Amino acid sequence: MIRFALAGNPNCGKTTLFNTLTGSTAHVGNWPGVTVDKREGTYKKLDEKVEIVDLPGIYSLSPYTPEEVVSRNFILDEKPDCVINVVDATNLERNLYLTTQILEIDVPVVVALNMMDALEASGDKIIIDDLQKQLGVPVIGISALKKQGTDELMKRAYDAAKHSRSGSTVLENSSVSGIISKVKDALPADLESKLFHAVKLIEGDELEIKAHPEANEIAMKLKAEQPDDGFEGDYEAVVADRRYDYISRKFRSVVIKANKKGVTKSDKIDKVMTHRIWAIPIFLVIMFAVFHIVFSEDLFFMNAMGLNIANNPTAVNFFTGMGYEGLLEEAMANGEELSLGIPSLGVFLQSWMGFLTDGLGELFLSFMPEGTWYTSLVVDGIIGGVGAVASFIPQILLLFLFISIMEDSGYMARVAFIMDRAFRKFGLSGKAFIPMLMGFGCSVPAMMAARTLEDEKERDRTIRLATCFSCGAKAPIWAMLATVIAAIGSSLGFLSSIFVFLIYILGIAIAIVFALIMKLFGKNNEVPPFIMELPAYHAPQFKNLMAHLWEKLKHYVIKAATIIAASTVVLWFLSNFGWAFWQGLVDIEDSIIADIGVVLKYFFYPLGWTMGEDGWMYAVATVTGLIAKEDVVSTCEILGVSGSTLSIAGIFAFAAYNLFTLPCMAAVATAKSESTKKGFWVTLAWWFVSSYIVSFIIYWVLHCYEIAWWIGLILTAAIIAAIVISALYLARRIKRANSQATA
Amino acid sequence: MTWYEILIAIGAVAIVALPIVLHFVRKKKGKSSCSCGCDCASCDKCRYNNSSEKQH
Repeated sequence: MIRFALAGNPNCGKTTLFNTLTGSTAHVGNWPGVTVDKREGTYKKLDEKVEIVDLPGIYSLSPYTPEEVVSRNFILDEKPDCVINVVDATNLERNLYLTTQILEIDVPVVVALNMMDALEASGDKIIIDDLQKQLGVPVIGISALKKQGTDELMKRAYDAAKHSRSGSTVLENSSVSGIISKVKDALPADLESKLFHAVKLIEGDELEIKAHPEANEIAMKLKAEQPDDGFEGDYEAVVADRRYDYISRKFRSVVIKANKKGVTKSDKIDKVMTHRIWAIPIFLVIMFAVFHIVFSEDLFFMNAMGLNIANNPTAVNFFTGMGYEGLLEEAMANGEELSLGIPSLGVFLQSWMGFLTDGLGELFLSFMPEGTWYTSLVVDGIIGGVGAVASFIPQILLLFLFISIMEDSGYMARVAFIMDRAFRKFGLSGKAFIPMLMGFGCSVPAMMAARTLEDEKERDRTIRLATCFSCGAKAPIWAMLATVIAAIGSSLGFLSSIFVFLIYILGIAIAIVFALIMKLFGKNNEVPPFIMELPAYHAPQFKNLMAHLWEKLKHYVIKAATIIAASTVVLWFLSNFGWAFWQGLVDIEDSIIADIGVVLKYFFYPLGWTMGEDGWMYAVATVTGLIAKEDVVSTCEILGVSGSTLSIAGIFAFAAYNLFTLPCMAAVATAKSESTKKGFWVTLAWWFVSSYIVSFIIYWVLHCYEIAWWIGLILTAAIIAAIVISALYLARRIKRANSQATA
Repeated sequence: MTWYEILIAIGAVAIVALPIVLHFVRKKKGKSSCSCGCDCASCDKCRYNNSSEKQH
């Protein structure tokens, strides 16, 4: 099997091309760092199978970032049969900078001019024949998204792979061409890609200097003999200047620009969405709107306006999954009138999914004998536990649909930009926000994306903070508690969406506070530079959105059928049998889990939410949630609690502990493999201790509001003041460090 | 114990053992055992291949 590598700048469509060629559904994102490692797939439409390797996006082959090292090592050491250099046709000049470096390697190269559809739509044109002549390698115009030209590209790459190719450089007739040929001669005769190594030695590339110290000495001597051409001996800058000079001279003529005004539609939208003052409020409004559509029990704020649908049983049954009878009984038992608004789409879907899982339990009960251990295992344990998690799947998918829309449209990239602008002055890097934003999906890829950070400590810090960004597995917990909050607010169903919104905002706010604390006690005041392209806004691709949702659904189903099902069986056993388990079923109060729970209850006692009679059940749910966060909901279902016995302070503190503590076993394994050894143990300790402290503070501050509002207010003001003073002190320290560095 | 009680008990043990067995099977195959799903950039082979190239 032959092997082709896809190499190109970030966000030029490599992964989209990879998916098109291999039929994969790898995650495509329009921000850097989505592909942090190489990924492999197979193309089967040629005479022989072709292995396609998707490399991370890079701007050069110099070893500045981990992605550049991965890509460079792969091309040089693994020797693919052909490199397909994916170039964004709408941004030709900048993309060709990397092309000029790839061409220096002794490997067949084919240039895939991607996004030709977008180029044509903009009215611009590229004369492909001229570009091909200038580069000396085949150039094929494609649209990876629309699958145009991809088969032709593979045919040309297949033909190119049959012939060996020697490297060529655009620096041939420049002021450094003489040194290049001399350094090339000084390199070992059997070395491949001598031209590439020679150019990199002249640039002062660290990896090349280590590998070829003798040739480096000659290069240093030759460079010292050269007259200064305005760069004060910085040959990395000299080479880059020569490359850009060549690109602008030779390639500008191949692009025919349509006569357009300078301001694009995206620029106009960005004037509002990334506005200095309005950007963050707009982000908050968008987030609230998403949570309202997914979690609100009263989509149109009907109850707040004194309207409701409770007197229409058919409507109630339709919107709540045949729940009229149950709701009516519940309201009567509480001595209240049934008051309901039209629920959001997410709650509507969740209600019907709950109806289906309950129905499944009733179906099994109809033919299994009541009171036996195996009926209890199947109905209460497996169907009850897994069903409780499964009932939230449609709601979680809806949430991810909105997150995917934000990502695919280009808005999520703006969020990173907005965050960077707001927090850079406090020493927080925007580059670290990108992995954290990925944490809204799952903590595991978020931690892996931290690889893009060059600084080891920054990477450890980012991994530590990834848990603050609520992942999909935690969403069922919020959904469960949101229902309770809506019930506490009696006739104000929309409080459920406000609760979820507050939890997400709390996560982001605490992440910033945590980052400030780490920075305050850290020695490094430097903020690494953050360069990021903002992709043009576009309508999200239906296929992309569906691929994201399909992956999420698959992930959920696999997890429900394996880890969650296993946990529910173990928990069912522990909650239905005593230490003398051979004696048969016992009441939950006499079960093994009740004994364990009592110990756990007192461990969490200072946090408030285990103070009640059933407090041990929340303690057990929290501990099982350390395996997988969905287990919190399944455990609550098996033990028969839903948060309704907690006070508002208890609900928020319980949510906070589960948000900030160790996310799941998969995340722990990832943190271990991605962190330094010391960093990993600090991270584990950080998750346990910080979540305990935050939960403690939240409970007692909110509890003070319940006792006397003014005590709560004083406490809140004191905490905010401490944070503001620390932030200001840090900002001053960073400013001073920067001015010293400049001096 | 009747035959179906034994069968259900075996099924329950199998459910508990499944994720543990899967973990080791995936690990043996050199695939990621992180269970984060395939939407992750470092899923499967790439993650395995990278273990020798870690930069830190």
